[in-house]
Amino acid sequence: MLGPGIAWYLAAGSAVFAIGMAGVMLRRNPLIMLLSLELMLNGANLVLIAFARQHGSLDGQVFALAVMAAAAAEVVVGLGLVVAMARRKIEIDADLLSRLRR
Amino acid sequence: MIAAAAWVCLLAPLAGVLAIALSGNGLSRRTAGYLATSSTAVSFAAAVVAFALTLGHSASDRQTTTTAFSWIETHALNVKLALLADPLSLVMMLVVSGVGTLIVAYSIGYMDGEDEERRYFAYIAFFVFSMLLLVEAANFLILLIGWGLVGLSSYLLIGFWQDRPSAIAAAKKAFVMNAIGDAAIVLSIFLLLQHTGTLDFAAVFGQAALLGSNTWVINIIAAGLLVGAIAKSAQIPLHTWLPDAMEGPTPVSALIHAATMVTAGVYLVVRTHPLFEQAPHVQQTVAGIGAVTLLATGAIALVQTDIKRVIAYSTMSQIGYMFLAAGIGAYSAAMFHLVTHAFFKALLFLAAGVVIHALGGEQDMHKMGGLRKKLPRTFIAMLIGTGALAGLPPLAGFFSKDAILATAFSGSAYDKVLFAAAIIGVLLTALYSFRMLFLVFSGEQSEPARRRLAKHKGSEGPRWMTWPVAVLTLLTAVGGWMVVAGLWHPFSSFLEGVAPAFASEPSAAREWLLSAVSLGVALSGVWIAWTIYSSRTQQAPKTPKALVEKLYFDRVYDRVFYFPAVSLAHRLAAWFERPVIERSGEEIGTGTLTGGRVAAAIQNGLARTYVLLVAVGVSAIVLLFLVFR
Repeated sequence: MLGPGIAWYLAAGSAVFAIGMAGVMLRRNPLIMLLSLELMLNGANLVLIAFARQHGSLDGQVFALAVMAAAAAEVVVGLGLVVAMARRKIEIDADLLSRLRR
Repeated sequence: MIAAAAWVCLLAPLAGVLAIALSGNGLSRRTAGYLATSSTAVSFAAAVVAFALTLGHSASDRQTTTTAFSWIETHALNVKLALLADPLSLVMMLVVSGVGTLIVAYSIGYMDGEDEERRYFAYIAFFVFSMLLLVEAANFLILLIGWGLVGLSSYLLIGFWQDRPSAIAAAKKAFVMNAIGDAAIVLSIFLLLQHTGTLDFAAVFGQAALLGSNTWVINIIAAGLLVGAIAKSAQIPLHTWLPDAMEGPTPVSALIHAATMVTAGVYLVVRTHPLFEQAPHVQQTVAGIGAVTLLATGAIALVQTDIKRVIAYSTMSQIGYMFLAAGIGAYSAAMFHLVTHAFFKALLFLAAGVVIHALGGEQDMHKMGGLRKKLPRTFIAMLIGTGALAGLPPLAGFFSKDAILATAFSGSAYDKVLFAAAIIGVLLTALYSFRMLFLVFSGEQSEPARRRLAKHKGSEGPRWMTWPVAVLTLLTAVGGWMVVAGLWHPFSSFLEGVAPAFASEPSAAREWLLSAVSLGVALSGVWIAWTIYSSRTQQAPKTPKALVEKLYFDRVYDRVFYFPAVSLAHRLAAWFERPVIERSGEEIGTGTLTGGRVAAAIQNGLARTYVLLVAVGVSAIVLLFLVFR
């Protein structure tokens, strides 16, 4: 098998996942939080694909594709919400949105 | 045909109950009374038909059993819903439904204007039904059902005036005392079932001799039945509920506590005599309890001031005579006294009810006196009833009591002791019964009586009250002629098949001699009562404290059972219920509330908190997997 060993891929995937999670937890701007979520998902994808290659099975790759589809759907909804907030001149801050209704 | 009559006799009062209970306010109060009376009258007519048809059969063929259906059917036990119409139950059916009808009719007048008359009539018809079920039962289980229902309906009737705390307490007391007896009977029935495998009267009695070979078992069975009979018949030591039960309406006292219910114990002993005969010691105890009761309660009756309580104590005393007779094996004498007692005791209660009614509810005899002129017909009725109670000829009580005395005298040495008790009882009976008569009717009218008579326009009551009293007076006067020693004895020969004749039947000459002795004793009792109580001017003798305290039975029961039970209950309340049960309710509530608040604090609506919690949870799970792989 070419390229670095699986451990590198796992390390990179975990790092991306951790950075994403830190972003979700520490940032208050919903846009940045969505971005960080995307990082988390892709970190997980990287790990999935690394294992798929390791085991020579396509299952992991199929999962990664499904995760990408879910991520796309999530971005659609999330960005829609952010745009709606901007339109209504609501301050873009996730902590202020702690209630489901006013 | 006899079977059909037996069913009609049983079910007619039940139909009356259902009709009154289900129509509710759609029925006028009067109609409820008519309905109850006619339903018991139908029952009485059916009993007469069954009796007449049974008389048509030959003496050996007078037992009719009729089965509605098989009620409980297992391979070990088969209980049928069956009625038995034999001479013994027929006598009881006639007494219960006949005297019952008169008393229910009397109630129409007595309870007139009472709130909830309908409830009263439903209860009283239900009582007649229960009593008929008891006496018509063909096996122990049906008997027990009737036994229990009788206890229930007496509880309901004693506590009829629900707004009087004393009535409620009396009802509870009666129920608890009866429950002791019920439990004893249930245990006996279990033992019978274990050792005979059946509950049917005929089958059980057929195996009596076999049971008798096991002394322990038969003694326990008979003792259990005896405890039940004592409780229901208010014999010492389970007698204290009966005087208190006088809190109920007077017709109820007449029906339940004199004529029918309290005689159920005598019926039970006579019915199950094959078992008692296998346990001779228990049977002697029956007679002994009867003798003790007739003396003790007769003495207590001497000092009572409440007219109904005097009659109540005389009831216990007279039932003591029946127990004595049943205990020495003179079953037909016991049943004969049961029948005549039903007549004259119902008469006494109903006549006392007329007096109480005329005085607007006054029951204290010291506030009566001189009522002979105001209530002349009631005086005659009361005189005949009192004479019968004291055993004066030619009234009913004379014949029946002398039958008991004569059989007791001709028995063994033990029976002779009982005879001595019975003859002292005759003196006591004459003394307390004529004391009551003189205090109420003779001498000067007391001041309270005069005032009350003026206020309530004292009369002998509506027609519905007077005619049942008249009928009972007639029955009391002539009812004893059923059996005249040496001349004829249709009553005992009718009962022969069920209750065998006394082993050593006294000769007619001896019976007449004893009659003369007891008459002399009774007359001297009357004379003593006359000298002391006939005029109000004379100072009544000092009453011994023990008698006023009813021989301390209530005191002792309070000390031994009631007070410890109450203090135990208070302690449990203080030490267990309030700190543990009550507090636990509160604590569960506050605990749930606090838990909810803590859990709610996690839900702060901040996405990052949720993410953190998820991260922590997942990390924990991963760590767990890594550690405990």
